Amino acid sequence: MTYKISRDGDISTIYLTGEIDMDVTDKAKEFIMPVIEEKKEVHLNLKDVEYMDSSGISILIESHQKAMELGTRVVLKEISKSVLKVIMMAKLEQILILE
Amino acid sequence: MEISKIKDFPVNSKSLKEVREFSKEVIGQSELLRDNMDELVLAISEATQNIVKHAYKDNQETTDKMQIKISFKNNKLEIGFFDKGKPVVEEDIKHRSLDDIKPGGLGTYFIQQIMDEVVFKEATGWHNNLVLTKQY
Repeated sequence: MTYKISRDGDISTIYLTGEIDMDVTDKAKEFIMPVIEEKKEVHLNLKDVEYMDSSGISILIESHQKAMELGTRVVLKEISKSVLKVIMMAKLEQILILE
Repeated sequence: MEISKIKDFPVNSKSLKEVREFSKEVIGQSELLRDNMDELVLAISEATQNIVKHAYKDNQETTDKMQIKISFKNNKLEIGFFDKGKPVVEEDIKHRSLDDIKPGGLGTYFIQQIMDEVVFKEATGWHNNLVLTKQY
């Protein structure tokens, strides 16, 4: 997994690439959570995420809940087909913010 | 078409990618299984993750190997997971309710959604033998 963060006004976008599984969970949290703590809207771009398992879904839930606590939001953008399938299997499409 | 492949992997989270590659290679041999590729790879990866995360919870520095066996015969897919970690207490395995939105607890749910049967069996020389099956 690799990532890139870009900031534009009130929105920070994190572009994730590759596979998100248990092996990269800690690393992903290390860079995603501080961006959410800046209290700006965070866009997680998932266009180039080829694989996500339950550990990756946990990161999405944790990010969403952290943002809600801080009065901001995490929006999932350009979700790849394989990630969308897993989000829907977990029945989270009505809980997480998908655009 | 019959398939039977076995491979050993070190018990750690770095093996997950290698397990997925192995799964893709084996599943890709059958046209029937290929249609379900993403789901089957997810189920296999989740079951492997459970070994690393739970059976070896207190032994993360282990040098043990776990074994995965994928068989496809008479349109029945059987995936066996063998490990020497802490013996699993079946009653303790439960996924969280989907209405209880919180991180974690989804891996077992995914496996149950994807496969027809999820059972633990006895296997000589191993502490745990999880068997996932799906009929095509």
